[in-house]
Amino acid sequence: MDIKAKSTSSGSLVIVGAGPAGLGAAIEAARAGLRCTLLDESAHLGGRIYRPPPEAFHVVAAPALGRDFQRGERLRHEFSEVADQVEVLSGASVLGIWNSGNSGRELLWTSGHSSAMLRAERLVLATGAYERPVPFPGWTLPGVMTAGGVQTLIKTMQVKPGRRALVAGTGPLLLVVANQLHHAGVEVVAVLEAGKPSWSPRQVPKVWGEWGLLRDAWTYWCGLRHAGIPLLFNHTIFAAHGEGAVETASYGPVDANDWRPLKERATRVEVDLVVAGFGLVPDTALTQSTGCRHEYVHELGGWIPVRDAFMRTTVPGVFAVGDGAGVAGSLVALEQGRVAGITAAEQTGALNAREADRRRAAPLRRLRSLARARRVLDEISRIRPGLSQLASEETLACRCEEVTFSEIRAALAAGAQDLQAVKLFTRLGMGPCQGRNCAASMAMSISQATGRTLEQVGQINPRPPMKQTTLGLLANTTGLAGSVVADPLDAVGGGPS
Amino acid sequence: MNAARDVVVIGGGVIGCSVAYYCARAGLGVTLIDQPKRGRATSASAGGLWPLGESVGLGCGVIFHKALAGRGQLPEGVHGPGQLPKAFLDFALQSNAMFPRLRDELLQTAGIDIELERTSLLFTMYDDGDVAFAKPLLEHCPCGQNRIDWLTPDELAKAEPAVTREVRGALRFNGDDQVNPYRLADAFRAAAQRLGATIITHTAVTGIEMRAGRVVAAQAGADRYPCAMVVNAAGAWAVNVGRMIGIEVPVRPVRGQILGTETLPKVLSACLSTSNCYLAQKQHGEIIIGSTTEEVGFDVGTTPEAMRSLAAGAVRAVPSLANVHLKRVWSGLRPGSPDELPILGPVDEIAGYFNACGHFRTGIVTSPMTGLMISELAAGQSTSFPLEPFLFSRFAGADPQSAIVHAHGIGDAALAEMRFTVPEMQCEGCANKIGQALQAISGVTGVDAKVELKQVWVRYESSKLQEQTLKDALHRAGFSAIETP
Repeated sequence: MDIKAKSTSSGSLVIVGAGPAGLGAAIEAARAGLRCTLLDESAHLGGRIYRPPPEAFHVVAAPALGRDFQRGERLRHEFSEVADQVEVLSGASVLGIWNSGNSGRELLWTSGHSSAMLRAERLVLATGAYERPVPFPGWTLPGVMTAGGVQTLIKTMQVKPGRRALVAGTGPLLLVVANQLHHAGVEVVAVLEAGKPSWSPRQVPKVWGEWGLLRDAWTYWCGLRHAGIPLLFNHTIFAAHGEGAVETASYGPVDANDWRPLKERATRVEVDLVVAGFGLVPDTALTQSTGCRHEYVHELGGWIPVRDAFMRTTVPGVFAVGDGAGVAGSLVALEQGRVAGITAAEQTGALNAREADRRRAAPLRRLRSLARARRVLDEISRIRPGLSQLASEETLACRCEEVTFSEIRAALAAGAQDLQAVKLFTRLGMGPCQGRNCAASMAMSISQATGRTLEQVGQINPRPPMKQTTLGLLANTTGLAGSVVADPLDAVGGGPS
Repeated sequence: MNAARDVVVIGGGVIGCSVAYYCARAGLGVTLIDQPKRGRATSASAGGLWPLGESVGLGCGVIFHKALAGRGQLPEGVHGPGQLPKAFLDFALQSNAMFPRLRDELLQTAGIDIELERTSLLFTMYDDGDVAFAKPLLEHCPCGQNRIDWLTPDELAKAEPAVTREVRGALRFNGDDQVNPYRLADAFRAAAQRLGATIITHTAVTGIEMRAGRVVAAQAGADRYPCAMVVNAAGAWAVNVGRMIGIEVPVRPVRGQILGTETLPKVLSACLSTSNCYLAQKQHGEIIIGSTTEEVGFDVGTTPEAMRSLAAGAVRAVPSLANVHLKRVWSGLRPGSPDELPILGPVDEIAGYFNACGHFRTGIVTSPMTGLMISELAAGQSTSFPLEPFLFSRFAGADPQSAIVHAHGIGDAALAEMRFTVPEMQCEGCANKIGQALQAISGVTGVDAKVELKQVWVRYESSKLQEQTLKDALHRAGFSAIETP
């Protein structure tokens, strides 16, 4: 059967995010003959993990760039074979999604030069994850950066982010960043891992290799040792100090069970860079705005959309895939994307049920195998609630609206019991970051203070615009229903005077 | 505490907090019970204190008027936004005059600055229509005083350099100022607490207990609050509280969407009202841009259409805003009453119950006088402003709709109302769908879909369409419509 010829694509498919998950969906949908539109905020395909190095960065020996680079190249190649079926909108941010009756939905997106509405009968959301914020005194000082931010500076911008650094957080990414800093000529004082893994270093490469999250962890481990950089387990950053920028930082041990800081045993070091990497939080702003049901799964990073095995959310026609639907890494993301792409094609009639089943079999099998490996990782990088004791009364909880922890406590004392109520009292999460910088840590903090579960503490409802945009761009939004209004007050007076 | 002097205030928006404050100040025993809800109008207010501007139809009024006209829904003979009666203007002016002293009181008692600013309100005139609307206002200032100035384009440019030069001039309303609405409500609440009021939040009142025609207690879940008086300050949800004592308070949610910009250096010294939007720069630098007027039930969502039209209105008025970031868009539910006037004071036959609701779009400016008057009623004193125009009894016998017709001066349009029972209406989503389907019909002026009652009220101009058209629209949207007299 010629599947392509049969595909009269009865419905439009829009995919948000061109990382591994979004690309996987686009490749499979396009292969089935379904035309689709793929939006991504970056100028390149591949997402953060497979983002190619800048043009100026001449690739002499591709293998030296590691497995992620090659996986990215393979995926881009696979995509190029079906690219004629896909309209790519790069540099495009989705500002909001609205249900528009008879089961379709409308997206408002902007490219930075214009904004427009886009109708989507089916929608695959592959928005990825962002770094988990963990507030500690001084966390908003210049010189405190996230692990991902530091990687971007070194990798894509080739900027040396500081002279002397302290790296703190949890998870294997810390080792990678510490090595990258070392190679960039930054002196790394110590790497502080809040957890204490039950695995031995020799097992790590196997687990991570299966994951594909990192290239060669064993090399990194050895790298740290050769460079004489201490790796301290059950330790974390306590505070960053300085006038206008980081000058010193204090750190120390944490309780092995709940990661509560043992502040009386603090050590102070002179550094101008503090790198914090406490893992990832799924970005659910768009899935939330489609109205699909979410659940709290601590191991997957927090709130995630409820899905079935074919990546269908509880809203018909809306799929969620990749880290944005539960942090699980790029390999899982890609297979989830493929499953969603095939299922979307099946829904439009571009594939019949039997063919869809046949195509889904391989990615589903791969997902089952990956699920076994992930349990190890879940255990080591699961964030623990004691970290919420790092902040002091004056520490900013919400940096956009400048809300301090003491204001949060006042709101709780006044009867607020969940994030939404705290937001109403304090404006927490009402700034341009939409709660990305505060919601996850505040939920944990409120849960600790009130004794309520994280499910009960809930989420902050995202509000459009989900990403920054200007009034000028919005004013010229194209593709909206409804006509431009003539000035009705003209009807009054007797014409031009 | 003397139970005969105990008041339970239901609702913690700006009105409830003001009532609690003035009652506590009068020495009454006050318990404020509040269930914060998304879409509370206080949280979606620009904080304009525009008694004069609002009374003549500026602020949201003129924008709504323009939107209606754009949809071809403006009744014949209507050339401008509706004006509110003199009694309301006087009420609003007197309430507004209370602010300077109130600011000092609240700062002293609660330590919160309500950020009262002397801004004035400018109506910027883009074209002949705007000029024709403005001229009579200048000639016969409704307040009877000379509080309006006419600014030429040059004078406007000098006073507000950021405002577009593409104008015919502006009308300045002196004495129309602004506060920070969140801080006003916070300050009322904190001051009430300082004066002995008990504030219970995140708690819903579930019933009002009556004995021999008197209020004796408010019930909130398992807790009972004995009292001699209750005040219904539940905003857009006031109808629910009214039903607890068997009355239908004619208050319906009227959604307004507003935009907030990033924090900016001083761009505007006055508040602006245009036929597309209004703008108010707050003390911390963000500019609030409002607002739509929509009847979509309790839906607190936002729409791309509103974002576009308000952004376009703002850029037209202040061109440099084109490059300014939008921080967020959100919405609030105004407590709309049929004649746009608040519903205040006692209800016949029910001793100890007071309304303090239906403030529509003027709750911020009228909150001090509302609080003061209710406290006076509760203390058994005469009120500082005549109560009659605002009593619930004004709706008795009359179809509340006739009041709307009167207020808008559109008596010839012959508004009719139909009620349908819609068994399939399960959630707010259905209600929205129904609202949209019906609003799309030319001639429909209002839709009120009540999920909990599975009923839909439709107001329409009987000259423009037949009942069957409404039924057909519901059927097309996938709902059955059982005519319910």
